[in-house]
Amino acid sequence: MLNYIIRRSLQIPMVLFVLSLIIVGLMQLLTPQQRAAAFVKSDKQIEHLDQIIKKYHLDEGFLVQYELWAREVLRGNLGFSRISKEPVTTTIRKRLPASMELALSAFIPIVLVGVWLGTIAATHRDGILDQALRVVAIIGWSLPTFVMAIWLVAWVYGGLGWFGIGRLPNSMLIDLATGHFHRYTGMYTLDGLLNGRWDVFFQALKRLVLPATALVIVVSAGIMRVMRSSMLDELGKDYVRTARAKGLMQKAVIYKHAWRNALIPVITMAGPMLGRMIGGIVVIELIFNFPGLGEWAAKAALQLDMTTLLAFVMLIGLIMASANLLVDIAYVIVDPRIRYE
Amino acid sequence: MKRLIVLAFALALIGAALATPKDTYVFLQNSTFDSLDPVQAYDGASIGVVENVYETLYTFKKGTPGEYTPTLATSYEVTNNGLSYVYHLRKGVKFHSGNPMTCKDVKYSVQRNLVTMPGDSGAWIFGVLTGYGNDAMTEAKKALGDNASQADIDKFLDAYWKKIEDAVVCDDMYTVRFNLSHPDVAFFAKMLFTGAAVVDSKWAIAHGAWSGTEKDWKDWIGVDLRTGYLHNHASGTGPYKLVKWDGNTVIAEAFDGYWGGEPAIKKVLVQGVEEEATRLEALRRGDADRVDVSNWATINAKVKQMSGVKVWSDSSWSPASAHVVFFNFDVQGENNPYTGSGKLDGNGIPHDFFTDINVRKAFAYCIDQDAIFNDLFEGHGAWYTMALPTTWPGYDPTIPIRKLDLDKAEEYFKKAWGGKVWDKGFKLTITYNAGNTERQTVAEMIKANVESLNPKFKIDVVPLQWSDYLKAARAKSLPIWPLGWGADYADPDNFIHPFYHSEGSLAKRQSFKNPEFDKMIEYARTLVKPEQQQERYDIYKKIGRMAYDILPNVPYPLQAPFIVTRDNLKGVYYNSMISGDFYWKDISK
Repeated sequence: MLNYIIRRSLQIPMVLFVLSLIIVGLMQLLTPQQRAAAFVKSDKQIEHLDQIIKKYHLDEGFLVQYELWAREVLRGNLGFSRISKEPVTTTIRKRLPASMELALSAFIPIVLVGVWLGTIAATHRDGILDQALRVVAIIGWSLPTFVMAIWLVAWVYGGLGWFGIGRLPNSMLIDLATGHFHRYTGMYTLDGLLNGRWDVFFQALKRLVLPATALVIVVSAGIMRVMRSSMLDELGKDYVRTARAKGLMQKAVIYKHAWRNALIPVITMAGPMLGRMIGGIVVIELIFNFPGLGEWAAKAALQLDMTTLLAFVMLIGLIMASANLLVDIAYVIVDPRIRYE
Repeated sequence: MKRLIVLAFALALIGAALATPKDTYVFLQNSTFDSLDPVQAYDGASIGVVENVYETLYTFKKGTPGEYTPTLATSYEVTNNGLSYVYHLRKGVKFHSGNPMTCKDVKYSVQRNLVTMPGDSGAWIFGVLTGYGNDAMTEAKKALGDNASQADIDKFLDAYWKKIEDAVVCDDMYTVRFNLSHPDVAFFAKMLFTGAAVVDSKWAIAHGAWSGTEKDWKDWIGVDLRTGYLHNHASGTGPYKLVKWDGNTVIAEAFDGYWGGEPAIKKVLVQGVEEEATRLEALRRGDADRVDVSNWATINAKVKQMSGVKVWSDSSWSPASAHVVFFNFDVQGENNPYTGSGKLDGNGIPHDFFTDINVRKAFAYCIDQDAIFNDLFEGHGAWYTMALPTTWPGYDPTIPIRKLDLDKAEEYFKKAWGGKVWDKGFKLTITYNAGNTERQTVAEMIKANVESLNPKFKIDVVPLQWSDYLKAARAKSLPIWPLGWGADYADPDNFIHPFYHSEGSLAKRQSFKNPEFDKMIEYARTLVKPEQQQERYDIYKKIGRMAYDILPNVPYPLQAPFIVTRDNLKGVYYNSMISGDFYWKDISK
């Protein structure tokens, strides 16, 4: 097992290397002028494209550009983000807590809702409840994240005035900036508690509800579908029939026997689910004015900020590769029959 | 009991949105900030902050871009036949750091532009002080070539530094003298640009900025100031001091040592929120006092239905820009893809197609100005009779506007090129920068109207990337194209010269030359004294009237400006030369 983990861990740098080659290579498909134009914020600056091209070596070939970037990365310098106007590492340090806060607040509900609804649908197979849940799952799975997000902003926040957008109310952001508030973790819910500021905790929590709900609706639909079919598979197996024949209660059959085995495909789905969640976070942060890494990356993609995109893709690559490794380890915990050589 | 706690918790979470307090101004805008360093800031969002944190020697009067009021100076005079501008500085002004403002700071601030001259900044505006519009190394390469010896480069740089040193001189602690390389009628207006905002030199040097001396000036030539301390820190003399710039949010608070008295709004938050729906809902809920809205269609469809929201607009408001359709008098380029066969044979146009005034007039009568005004801008547009902002001195509103008239267009096409245009037809391409709906509409409108006159007239409309569009325009390869120009500084010369002088940056791209225009514009540039300004403005009006007949370009309407706020915001006004439309210190609730 340990050997397997080491081998898999050694693959991660290779994945990151290939990802970086792809991003730099894709950028080369655009002309230096097109890439230089992405640096420009006002029409007048476009008059100085030639100077921008020279300054940022945009007219150099693929290898030179890659070498320039890689050399700095090896020195621990991920570059300067044109989007956030500060070093990439500073931005990651500032924004990662916001994305983590959102991801963590959505993750548990996503799993719980998906598994719970999947179980209910399976145990009410072909009944009205099952049919209804299947329709809901299809809608949730096929609904673009931005549609759900805009609907929540316009109707729940704009129309009903519930919850809120942004990480905190603007007036509170000003107060925190001008007063004494220590940012221990960068997550306002936790920092609110650690500073003894219940008002900050509540406001931060309140503003997590809508973006987290959007994520839960979109991502948990997939889990529900997998959980349903996996549960149905398990319920049809001999050991379940045996358990029933023994006279066990339906609840015990489902939750003590079938449930645990049905969870294995759900764990397999954790990798793709994480991918969908990250994709969702990018859009959701943009729409809910939630300044995390997703919002930063979305803007970088729109403005062809290669340094920022590279850093973001590297980070996501690292997270995804690590998550897949964790999934493999989790298999062993859930199903002791699985062994890695 | 447990249920009650859960219910209370849920209600607290749902809760109503918090309206911004009475002393707080929250503005959600559609873009983020590039840099808060006054020299580097060259985009509207950044300047919108810089202009409230720093101050220039003079500033704009509320609502009137052509009138000024003294701020860090108390008076000024023009001497030495327009080659020197002497400003007398206000005494007792303090920076946010507590340091006193003196001539040394003014000198440092302006010379910092001349030393660094970042290519993508507005520092070139002050090039008249040295006679150079680029940074010293670029100028050295231009003058000496790429293979110059280090000794020659050093000699050039020494001479360049000498010019910087002589350009700004402190006559005494509160008198600063600017020595120009040549008379510049717009110099006073240029000094209102935030690039000339006065920086706390002692504070800046202490934080690693240029030392203000020859010792390290070469290290700062052409440097990208976004990596410097002043990029996200500030010590100005303005009514607001910067508290924090956190990515896309700027937080500022009133400066209690401000020489002009403390403003009513004590705290300000400006945030870049790209999603319009999010901005609008924040405004509706009172989470924002002001938001950027893209156009009048959105205002009519969404904003006007919101309660507690006010749309500020006035028929006298006009943006500090002008948009026109350019005609190229000498299209360049072998196998030019935009001119078809390159001959007047029904499949292209010759390089000098637009030198015939009949062609230009025919095209002008095919532009449906009323449709642009009424359909594109939903009746909220600003008419343009010439390529100059309508509220600026020198603008003549009495000049007629050519509106859609297909009979006249046909008449002129029949006369053009001795009737050959009508008989043989032509084919050309109109381009616009991709994503610009306004220019796309204008281009498609011309195509539809021109093609409706004669089946032998063929026009393609092609979008180009911004960079490719400007590159093609600069290469003089576009036969006809719509483009706009925004003001760098509040002087009509900033429009008249680029649009109408043969050496103007825009007129050059269309190979437009009119010796009479050149003579008048050059003469106007010599009228530097305050008492000569009316004469100068009359010359510009005359140029506008002549341009109606000569028709080097066709100005068309622009969207009328508007400001969207909560209805409790007072003191709002619009000045096209203020990036945030008004100064924060002038508003209250």
